[in-house]
Amino acid sequence: MHPATEKLVSALKELSIQVDNCNYEERGYHFEIDLEADKLRVLAECMLAQEMFLGFVGGLHVKPAIEIVYQFASFERACRFVVRVPVAADNSIPTISDIYQGANWHERETRDFYGVNFTDHPNLVPLLLAEEDVDLKPLLKKDEDLKESAELRWAAPVEEKPEAEKAEQG
Amino acid sequence: MPPELLRMIIAAVLVVAFVFLNAMILGYMERKVSAHIQRRPGLMEVGPHGVLQLLIDGLKLIGKQLVVPEGSNKFLFRLAPVLSFAPCVLPFVVIPFSKKLQIVSMDISLIFILAMTSINVIAILVAGWASNNKYSLFGTFRSVAQAVSYEIPMLLSILSVILVTSTFSLSGIIAAQKYYWFILIQPLAFIIYFISGMAETNRAPFDMPEAESELTAGFHTEYSGMGFSFFFLAEYANMFTVCSIATVLFLGGWKGIPLPLGDYTGIFWFMLKVYGLLFVMIWVRWTFPRVRFDQLMTFCWKYLIPFALANLLITAVLVKLI
Amino acid sequence: MGNLVGDNAVHVDLEPVTDIPNDNHFYLNMGPQHPSTHGVLRVLLEMDGEYVVEAQPVLGYGHRMQEKMAEHKNWMAFMPNTGRMDYAAALPYNHGYVALFERLCGIEVPARAEYIRVITSELNRIVSHHLWIGAMLLDMGAFTPILYTFDDREQVLDILEDVTGSRLTYCYFRVGGVCKDIDDKFIEKTRAFIKRQRERFTIYNDLITGNIIFIKRTEGVGIISPDMARRYGITGPVLRGSGIAYDVRKNEPYSVYPNFDFEIPVGQNGDSYDRYMVRLLEIEQSLRIIEQALDQLPEGPFLGKAPKKMKMPTGDCSFTVEAARGELTYYLVSGGGDIPYRLKIRVPSYSNLSVLPELCQSMLLSDLVAAMGSMDLVIPEIDR
Repeated sequence: MHPATEKLVSALKELSIQVDNCNYEERGYHFEIDLEADKLRVLAECMLAQEMFLGFVGGLHVKPAIEIVYQFASFERACRFVVRVPVAADNSIPTISDIYQGANWHERETRDFYGVNFTDHPNLVPLLLAEEDVDLKPLLKKDEDLKESAELRWAAPVEEKPEAEKAEQG
Repeated sequence: MPPELLRMIIAAVLVVAFVFLNAMILGYMERKVSAHIQRRPGLMEVGPHGVLQLLIDGLKLIGKQLVVPEGSNKFLFRLAPVLSFAPCVLPFVVIPFSKKLQIVSMDISLIFILAMTSINVIAILVAGWASNNKYSLFGTFRSVAQAVSYEIPMLLSILSVILVTSTFSLSGIIAAQKYYWFILIQPLAFIIYFISGMAETNRAPFDMPEAESELTAGFHTEYSGMGFSFFFLAEYANMFTVCSIATVLFLGGWKGIPLPLGDYTGIFWFMLKVYGLLFVMIWVRWTFPRVRFDQLMTFCWKYLIPFALANLLITAVLVKLI
Repeated sequence: MGNLVGDNAVHVDLEPVTDIPNDNHFYLNMGPQHPSTHGVLRVLLEMDGEYVVEAQPVLGYGHRMQEKMAEHKNWMAFMPNTGRMDYAAALPYNHGYVALFERLCGIEVPARAEYIRVITSELNRIVSHHLWIGAMLLDMGAFTPILYTFDDREQVLDILEDVTGSRLTYCYFRVGGVCKDIDDKFIEKTRAFIKRQRERFTIYNDLITGNIIFIKRTEGVGIISPDMARRYGITGPVLRGSGIAYDVRKNEPYSVYPNFDFEIPVGQNGDSYDRYMVRLLEIEQSLRIIEQALDQLPEGPFLGKAPKKMKMPTGDCSFTVEAARGELTYYLVSGGGDIPYRLKIRVPSYSNLSVLPELCQSMLLSDLVAAMGSMDLVIPEIDR
């Protein structure tokens, strides 16, 4: 593993964030994190301090709670993270747009599509939808199509190859 | 009818006809030259190689609906194109096309022409203000600042020539170029005058006031039909005026290799020189991008004016000594 | 001149804009129809004379909800949509999409198909950069370069039309390969184009790169620092103009890019001129890649085996490609079956445009046009 990536993973471990290695050939990203909403901002600050950039912020409508997906990557080496955070019971989640300003628009779009409220966002008005379609929430699934979060995870175990050989991406 | 009045009427008709004819020829030249620079054939449809295109364009523009914007000052809105066009016709009365082809010969013809071209600033101001449109207002601000600023180097470079000839009369200036053209003794003044002339007539690379990609069309955004075509005609007439002054002052006017009936056929050389300069203007337009507005003003105030002043000073000293 | 509109004029009650904090400022609307916003983009500008105090892009005029369409269509039905998001350089979008399914389901792609994909994607990148150069210069008032670049574009569009059938919105790749093979005529024409293009660089350098007015309009305009780029997630030539050598083709290589020898041009200052130089040099690098690919092109099938009805495993998958404007990521969540549960498309111009409010404070309006032009935005991909 690239030394900078190791540093990042250990910094995350210090914040008691669980980082899972993934098979890049199969998934397209190197590390996966399932996070609680209260650790989100700490993670974002750590990522910025370790010089990662924010790829995107997207939503995923599953049971029991909508999950917000964050993808972080690095300019210098191959090191891609996918972070999943379920929203709170009142459909809200803290914003990271003061840490990563690029998240500003991504969060507005996610609110447009899913109705998730990003607390403390400076300007949470519709971005892609029209002003009158504030409550449209087009990407929310109908009940019969909605799946459990566990149903959408990889069935086979994550670790398939020895860690040293597989994680030699960076 | 007294012969003077008859002469004046014929002259007026000729001048207006010439202005329209010039716009046609210049418009055709612009479109053809720009097309060939851009690697395409250009006008080909109407008439052989598109020579009748401009005529048809004129007829089309006459037939268009005249839209007056709702919140505009209706009187001023309709006044502006007329205010722009009318003073552009007058300089043609004093331009010496040939030795005997000058309609009126005044002692102060040059000042008269400069005064007439300055009225254009007011017309632009009125047009932009009366349109009740922020884009037009923007174009107006820029245009007024540009026109007023670039008049100074223009005047200074003209003054350098006047110092040599001691007369404002255009025919007198041509007569003074008996042995050599003034461009040989005033090259810097010629360059400064030409650049200022391009800026005065809002030609690229100084066409910020009509910057299409920023302001949609600047001060003539809201005009359609004949209103628009008046501005269009005024611009071409101004271009012709600027180039003819450059020809008269620096390139010897209608002087050239003597032709039979020399007093009248001097017009051939005159037109050749003027259209040569117009060709250079068109060439420059299609080569360079637009100069940014503050760079435009910097160029005028920090470069052109000091050079023009220096040129004037040196000329004054040399005239005194020689 | 009479007022022909008269009493039948339609009265529109516009709400007056209230709460402008400073009386000397006024609001100017750039767009949605405007010659300089490449697509339907509205930028709300608060102006103080010629200076921009605040610039707010307003999006959504071209929003088609591609991501919802992806949740109801199988991969074959959604393929044409990928060509319509970024119409100026559609093949990398095709590529990311099919490669996503190939990665998810473990489908093998024959070597020849990979090479064809690379050749056509790089040709598409060249086409997109040419369009950008012409359009950027047009924004700045130079009417001639766009016709020269469109001339070069026509050569490539003819080549690509023979093999893909489209000139603009390509739908050429399939899961497992490409849908039609390239023949000797294609190879010949491409080699002729490469030779011709190298000679055209002198024209561009004389007319544009060395043009003093162009340099003055773009040097020092719209400087993006590396830190700003990181916070906004900026990628592509905009990022490389600021000095960071990040290119997905080198960082997380995909397809057969590891087999080629090419460089990543970077700028130093992060201004509009550097972004222009980066793209001009990238054209040359793309020519290099195409040349090497044509030399190495293997024989073989152009379409591998792919099931007609895709059986996706449950799980999520991400695929990142280097589109003409930056890093394009497709992120798919599948619950089995052949229709995705969720497809997230991360588009490069989206993040690039979001830097506009911070970039444009106290900038002249003309500089705003130059800076926005240098970011190479295609609004349909932003709006999806």
